[in-house]
Amino acid sequence: MKNRILALLLLISFTAFGQVDRSAPPKPGPAPQIRIADYESFTLDNGLKVFVVTNSKLPTVAFNLIIDSDPVLEKDLAGYVGMTGRLLRTGTKTRTKEQIDQEVDKIGGTLGTSSSSVFSSSLKKHMNKLLELMSDVVINAEFRDAEVEKARKQILSNLISSKDEPDEIAERVRRKLFYGEGHPYAEFETEASVKKITRQDCEKYYQTYFKPNISYLSIVGDITLDEAKKAAQRYFGDWKKGEVPKHTYKQPKAPLLTKVAIVDRDNAVQTSINIGHPVEISLSSPDVINARVMNTILGGGAFRLFENLREKRGFTYGAYSQLAPNQLTGYFAASADVRNEVTDSAVTEFLYEMKRIRTEPVGENELQKAKNYITGSFAISMESPQTVASFAVNTAKYNLPRDFYSNYLVKVNSLTADDIRDAANKYVLPEKSYIILVGKAEDIASKVKKFSSLKIEYYDDFANPVDPNAKAVPEGVSAASVISKYIESIGGKEKLMNVKDRKTTMSASVQGFDVTAVLLQKAPNKMLQRISVGGMEQVMLFDGKNGVNKSPMGEEVLEGENLEQMAFEADMLAITKLDELGIKATLTGVEKIDDKDAYKIEFVLPSGGKFHHYYEKESGLKLREQRTLSTPQGTFTQTTNFSDYREVNGMKYPYKLVQSVVGMNIEMTVSNIEINTGLGDDLFK
Amino acid sequence: MIKKIPVFILLINILVIAQAPEIKFTEYDLPNGLHVILHQDNSTPIVATTITYHVGSKNEDPQRTGFAHFFEHLMFEGSENIKRGQIDSLVQNAGGQLNASTSFDQTTYYLLLPSNQLELALWIESERLLHAKIDSVGVETQRSVVKEERRQSIDNRPYGTLFEKVFATAFTKHPYNWTPIGSFQYIDQASIEEFREFYKTYYVPQNAVLSIAGDIDIAQTRALINKYFSEIPAGKKDIPRPRIVEPKRVKEVRDTVYDKIQLPAVVQAYHIPAQGTKDYYALNMLTTLLSSGQSSRFYKALIDEKQIALQTGSIPVSLEDPGLFICYAFAAAGKAPEESEAVINEQIKKVQDELITDEEFEKIRNQVERSFINEKSKVLGISQSLAEYYLFFKNTSLINTELDKYMNVTKEDIRRVAREFLAPTNRIVLYYLPKSSQKN
Repeated sequence: MKNRILALLLLISFTAFGQVDRSAPPKPGPAPQIRIADYESFTLDNGLKVFVVTNSKLPTVAFNLIIDSDPVLEKDLAGYVGMTGRLLRTGTKTRTKEQIDQEVDKIGGTLGTSSSSVFSSSLKKHMNKLLELMSDVVINAEFRDAEVEKARKQILSNLISSKDEPDEIAERVRRKLFYGEGHPYAEFETEASVKKITRQDCEKYYQTYFKPNISYLSIVGDITLDEAKKAAQRYFGDWKKGEVPKHTYKQPKAPLLTKVAIVDRDNAVQTSINIGHPVEISLSSPDVINARVMNTILGGGAFRLFENLREKRGFTYGAYSQLAPNQLTGYFAASADVRNEVTDSAVTEFLYEMKRIRTEPVGENELQKAKNYITGSFAISMESPQTVASFAVNTAKYNLPRDFYSNYLVKVNSLTADDIRDAANKYVLPEKSYIILVGKAEDIASKVKKFSSLKIEYYDDFANPVDPNAKAVPEGVSAASVISKYIESIGGKEKLMNVKDRKTTMSASVQGFDVTAVLLQKAPNKMLQRISVGGMEQVMLFDGKNGVNKSPMGEEVLEGENLEQMAFEADMLAITKLDELGIKATLTGVEKIDDKDAYKIEFVLPSGGKFHHYYEKESGLKLREQRTLSTPQGTFTQTTNFSDYREVNGMKYPYKLVQSVVGMNIEMTVSNIEINTGLGDDLFK
Repeated sequence: MIKKIPVFILLINILVIAQAPEIKFTEYDLPNGLHVILHQDNSTPIVATTITYHVGSKNEDPQRTGFAHFFEHLMFEGSENIKRGQIDSLVQNAGGQLNASTSFDQTTYYLLLPSNQLELALWIESERLLHAKIDSVGVETQRSVVKEERRQSIDNRPYGTLFEKVFATAFTKHPYNWTPIGSFQYIDQASIEEFREFYKTYYVPQNAVLSIAGDIDIAQTRALINKYFSEIPAGKKDIPRPRIVEPKRVKEVRDTVYDKIQLPAVVQAYHIPAQGTKDYYALNMLTTLLSSGQSSRFYKALIDEKQIALQTGSIPVSLEDPGLFICYAFAAAGKAPEESEAVINEQIKKVQDELITDEEFEKIRNQVERSFINEKSKVLGISQSLAEYYLFFKNTSLINTELDKYMNVTKEDIRRVAREFLAPTNRIVLYYLPKSSQKN
């Protein structure tokens, strides 16, 4: 009887199979329950927090120690923290590197170290040996000179070979532009910094920061809670706790205007495109999940960017975007490698998609697709017990709500099109981005100018600014010869010394407002500049000693570099007595300014502040002054171009000054220059 | 007393093998020739579907290199029932991930999905096998994409051409002479009919293995496979299999490549027997000795002691026909690649002259055991291994027993294969030097 029913059932099913409906995708079965495996946690007396995830599918165990210290500023020693991490497994009080290597390999284990983590794994049967080695490098690391030298050589070799890696080059420029000087994420190894690192630097870092009370240990695999407790106590119980310094940093900001930066690789057949900016987002931000779903739709997989740039246009093998949360500062970046010819078209499409996600509401299907994708990825990630361990550590480390991960998918699935648009408007800034292009400048530069109102910036492999027009300096020319030719060109030192005072009156029109400026200077070094716009006034005064800047926004007493800079400008003879003022001048190259060759001189003030002047090769006259302004929005270059030189009392003065900063040009016209009218000292008070 | 010894040895063996969890599987053929392998593991609600076709770059016409790989791209264009570009979208919409790869010997597609979407996976793969869309729009798009893939992974990368050059130099007759990415020109020259012909020849059930691992029910999965795959007709054409035998090398070949690089590199490639042979397992144990871990012989000598290399290693490229054993070193800054080659030769000579120590032997056995077990940590990896064990060896149970083949290798075997295959007359040697050092 039973058999017959079975046969009947078979028959029915076969008939059904005879007419397979292939026209539409089959409906999914009921959604499986996604369960996050349990974990246990405990804390050792020394403060080490331990998390245990038991999973006996394979007879293996893995230990991951995370040292949660704040990043430090490495300055001219960039790379020493990373080197400390690398050196950890190269010696302990009782083992040489050779012994460590042999013992790890002998059990078929792995042991990896970095400046903020130590990871090890092996078959369960070798666990005790593995932990003996791991705790030895964590607790008893010893730094040996020979290993320091070896690591230094390896890092230097790596740096040399990275000169041909477009991704590494792009990453250095990205860090430098996104985070700016003074931020640890803007730092990277250079040949000079790596050469400076000493064994003591690494030792000191290890002794200061490798402490159990700021660390998390996750234990994953074929191990019970009881075994894990015993192992943690036995191998890490003796690790001494200690006070660890904290560091905080300013939040980097997106640039005010989009900037284009190029690194020239003259043999490149593709351009590596990176478009993005820093953003303030961390795992503890309330909308971090909204931001992730938004980025998924834009480019977190084969979504909009991939569809557009690869599948629709065939520009690239892959185009993606990243929105990386981080406690210090996150970032958004979209990237692809594309062939030279389509570089500008690809940038256009990137910016189009970045704008579109901010303006057009995302369609229901597309939103659902992103939610499904994230839900599925979450389920897939559950296969690895490491995922559960990282959830546990993150929850503790970033002080997340206890249900952050268990509620994660509920949150994902509750988001609306408005949530996505809000997140895009907050975290994707197509008009305040850096467009970083590593590729063949000759092929791409002229076509990508249009993406920014600012001049294209050029960088070398190590993110140092370079001038693409720089030419070789002819022999026999020096800073001194250029400066003396300049002094001759405006009338000579003698005539210059006869100028006791000077009054310059200028006017300009800025966005419909009339601007007038009056500049008074008196020997030896007094200066007053008054700028009036629509009844408001800004006054800059230097009385020979102190400088002040007064505006409706308040009064600022100048100090340091700014004061030095003002003193230099106040002194009409400064250029004739640089040595006396302690100012260093260096000729750094020849560049083109509006078709004219100009010598570029770098001036370094005693405080270390820097600025540049450009002197025309032919006439000797000054064509440009250039300064870097540091503001909370990042650093900007302010340039002032001089032209229309006219003679007044046998001296030459520029009658047209064009000042530009962040793409804004202000053209000032001199209406009058009066010399030696006997300006009184009381004017400069 | 004497009798007890074998028991003791047996016990040790059992202990070693007992460590590896057994992968249970069911396998069968559909009437149309499709081989099916199923492995049930309900611990995570996901399912991995791998379908691998027994066609790779070695099946290509020398005037049409890159064809198999190009075809892999075409298979994402859609089918009679799947609109262009919708495969990615369907899978992501279902919360899944997908990818594909082409090697010298096979083309593999995989889908990783939540387990309630198994039927979707079967529908997609059966659509691709039954009636993929091969039209000029798809061909044009993928031509551009594949060219960018080549630029990104080969032409715009330092040392990007290394793999290609090694095979081109080592193989003179056998189609391993070219690598799967192939050349631009041939893909541009190929007509749509050629693509359709290739599809009819190789994308047929009897040339494929379907392997599914994860949160499934065996009976239900069999029924679903029946539903989607049984109506696909078997292919009617002969499936060409290259029978070309690479002539035995009798003389070393040396060559220099000038590339956009900063640090020179040296690569030696020795001809070795095909995967699955006894010698192949011995060569795998040898490579573990030479370059697995920081205590390995190459690493220790070139990087730690002499500090002449930035990176070094050895790879027995595992292939269906006789392949290559590659030894390489990237020189450290300021060091000549000749120094690295000399030390590599010295180390090879040492293995040829002296039996390895008991301690080293135990070490490499432990390392091999560990990596064998680690390969079983994910259902996707398991589904791929199952498919390959069947495709290449017609022996799926190797997933549980292959470790024995490594464990049966003796110290003498290792010395023997080093002597037999790592001989200068059996190799080619390439130097990669910076373009800046090239004399005109």
